Amino acid sequence: MINELGQVALALALLASMLLAIYPLWGSVRAEPKLLAMAKPLAFAMFLFTLFAYWALTYAFITDDFTVKYVANHSNSLLPIYYKYTAVWGGHEGSLLLWSLMLSGWTCAVAIFSRGVPSIMVARVLGVLGIVSTGFYLFMILSSNPFESLLPYFPIDGRDLNPLLQDFGMIIHPPMLYMGYVGFSVAFAFAIAALLAGKLDSTWARWARPWALSAWAFLTLGIALGSWWAYYELGWGGWWFWDPVENASFMPWLAGTALIHSLAVTEKRKVFKSWTVLLAISAFTLSWLGTFLVRSGIIVSVHAFASDPERGLFILALLVIVIGASLTLYAVRSAKLKSDARYQLVSREMMLIGNNVFLTAATIVVLLGTLLPLIHKELGMGSISVGEPFFNQMFTYLIVPFVVLLALGPMSRWKRQPLADLSLQMIWAVGLGALMTALLLTGFKAYPMLAILGVFLSFVILITTVQEVLLRTGNQLNRKSLKMLSRSHWGMVLGHVGFAVCLMGITVTSNFSEEREVRLMPGESITLRGYEFRFDEVIHIDGPNYTADGGVVSIYDEGEFVSQLIAEKRFYPVQQTVMTEAGIDTSLLRDLFVALGEEFPDGAWGLRVYVKPFVVWIWLGAGIMAFGAFLSIMDKRYRLAKVKQTKKLGKNTTVAVNEVQGVQHG
Amino acid sequence: MAKKYLLLFLPLVLFLSLTVFLLKGLFSEPRYQVSSQVDKYLPAFSLPDVMDENTLYSVEDFKGEVTLLNVWGTWCVTCAVELPYLTSLKEQGVRVVGLYIEQDLDPDFGAKGLPQIRREISAMLGRLGNPYAFNIFDETRDYTMDLGVTGAPETFLVDRDGKVLLHHVGDLNERVWEAKFETVYKRALQVDANG
Repeated sequence: MINELGQVALALALLASMLLAIYPLWGSVRAEPKLLAMAKPLAFAMFLFTLFAYWALTYAFITDDFTVKYVANHSNSLLPIYYKYTAVWGGHEGSLLLWSLMLSGWTCAVAIFSRGVPSIMVARVLGVLGIVSTGFYLFMILSSNPFESLLPYFPIDGRDLNPLLQDFGMIIHPPMLYMGYVGFSVAFAFAIAALLAGKLDSTWARWARPWALSAWAFLTLGIALGSWWAYYELGWGGWWFWDPVENASFMPWLAGTALIHSLAVTEKRKVFKSWTVLLAISAFTLSWLGTFLVRSGIIVSVHAFASDPERGLFILALLVIVIGASLTLYAVRSAKLKSDARYQLVSREMMLIGNNVFLTAATIVVLLGTLLPLIHKELGMGSISVGEPFFNQMFTYLIVPFVVLLALGPMSRWKRQPLADLSLQMIWAVGLGALMTALLLTGFKAYPMLAILGVFLSFVILITTVQEVLLRTGNQLNRKSLKMLSRSHWGMVLGHVGFAVCLMGITVTSNFSEEREVRLMPGESITLRGYEFRFDEVIHIDGPNYTADGGVVSIYDEGEFVSQLIAEKRFYPVQQTVMTEAGIDTSLLRDLFVALGEEFPDGAWGLRVYVKPFVVWIWLGAGIMAFGAFLSIMDKRYRLAKVKQTKKLGKNTTVAVNEVQGVQHG
Repeated sequence: MAKKYLLLFLPLVLFLSLTVFLLKGLFSEPRYQVSSQVDKYLPAFSLPDVMDENTLYSVEDFKGEVTLLNVWGTWCVTCAVELPYLTSLKEQGVRVVGLYIEQDLDPDFGAKGLPQIRREISAMLGRLGNPYAFNIFDETRDYTMDLGVTGAPETFLVDRDGKVLLHHVGDLNERVWEAKFETVYKRALQVDANG
């Protein structure tokens, strides 16, 4: 019964989204206030119906209703209750439902938090989101219905949730990614609304910025969680594989990073207008392209989602309609744009556009690397594969100029920056950076070229970020002057610090990790980088829906006990799958990582042992970046309700610009 | 002006040409395919009886009789539910052969030895009914893989020539038998073994 109600709710949500796609946009053409006013109630209705549908599916999971095909395929009566809640998005259909719940939620949020935006603009934005949502609901109802029933031939028990997904990291990784993807649809909707209005001034950039920032923050967290999960769950110590599905989430991240920077320039300096719009469309396109790649099974990947050419065709059709129309609109409308602000070759504007160029280049590298095998094959030139060396090499080339701009950009002035004025900072950054690099690498007693480069660049970013704060506060590091800096300024500082921390982690861990694959009898031990790993025993573990062997390993540092790890190898009988669960001891300076392998006939076991210095910095850096973005959103400027009040005084834009420029010269 | 338009339409052109490749890629082979054994002959094998490693079975044991090949294990909850119905099918004269899979024997996962598993099988079949003419023991689970089995229980309907007519994933019960199996089974019975 509840299942059928869920189905009905989904149909009603589709109806609401279609009305939302038509009435407000029609109202904006006819300038009909009644039609414009329908936008918000329709957005709320769409959200509530989707919420009900989502609840209905959750209910089917927790009551073990195996008459629902999706539940029968992704749950089992023995599945622990918390996984029953999360199994809702454990497969294709349910994750789409979660996705549309988020999309309607964000639509609702736009309706609520846009009091400062003119109602005709809100109506356009919600209308565009209505079009996107309609596509999603149609896709779900026509080709991936989560409420499909197995009646009257339903199974007695379900086929269990994919054991890979029975893990905390995997529970929150997909929702975070979807939050990011969906958030970019809001930025996209603002861009399209501005194109429709023909008013590509800096106001749309200010409205779209907080949405783009939060989307970017969620995407950052989502990618970091996925990489962290791969690290401890796949049991081979890697954290990034350039897998097509990882790339699918990395491309919108790169485009999104370019977007948040470009939005800043457009908002403050009214330049790069058309470029910013194109980036907003690109970030959205790339997240949909990612969905297409993952869901259609077009590219072979470890993330085997249910693949189905029909589904792929549907997404592709949506992609062509929505993106094709957007890009056409873009081409027609932005031809009329021209920027009146002037700036010189060496200026903050140029450094930001330079960074945008490198970020775009990186996006293209990833896009090419991901799609080249496909295109190559379709052109009849045979199968090729593009792997890690290609990506690593390209990113090594791109990172150097990128970091130079990242170091100089925040310290530069808008319009014109004589490089000589920054020479003192540059000398300090290079000198201090080199010294710190030397100190750090002496600790590892090895000096590979790439390690020197990466560590040095990370230090340069950290030093210049501190220099920038000093510059803005007039070298007065007291509480009062630090408080003068706006939250969005601190957001930028943290974003750059996070990037440096992440880069440091990547460099050190790729260059100085040590691993050994050994065969040990219980009681034996091996030593790796000064740590003694003693293999104590193998114990049998009974989980709720699995059984496991647990290799108990005690670790000693010069005879002193450090930690005892249990590396599990789990067997899930319903799905006949084996999973590794590595034992990891994490600290800021190094991770000790043990994974259990096969047992040999004589009672010995295969063990993989890793010492990975600084690896946790990668995710720490991502966390700092995301925190910075959230801090930016909380900046006073974006409290849109308040902007409205200042607007009454007739100086909201000037306030924003003055605030920034005042800080520049202060 | 024309030059400017050309530049602005560039993203659209690039995007559209990309979709052409994506569209082609969508329908090109090889893609992921659920390996299906339906309409194919059973692959060759030589595997022991689960109760007696000296008795070996091969495809020849399927020749001449219409058989239900049922993949199961004592660890499988749904299989236990399915056993009484399979037994009632056997009592109606249907030949059922078991394909037994057990991961607990694998030293990587389980502490169980073969004698203990045999005891468990006897106990379970004694309690719930024994539908099986015999049980093939797929020790390494390779044969199960060849058949495209993704779990248990799964059932194949095999004709007199050893050709797979149906592959059912999940438990076999009265509803499934009547809706999916019965007609195909009866038709297979009518076909002459050498025809």
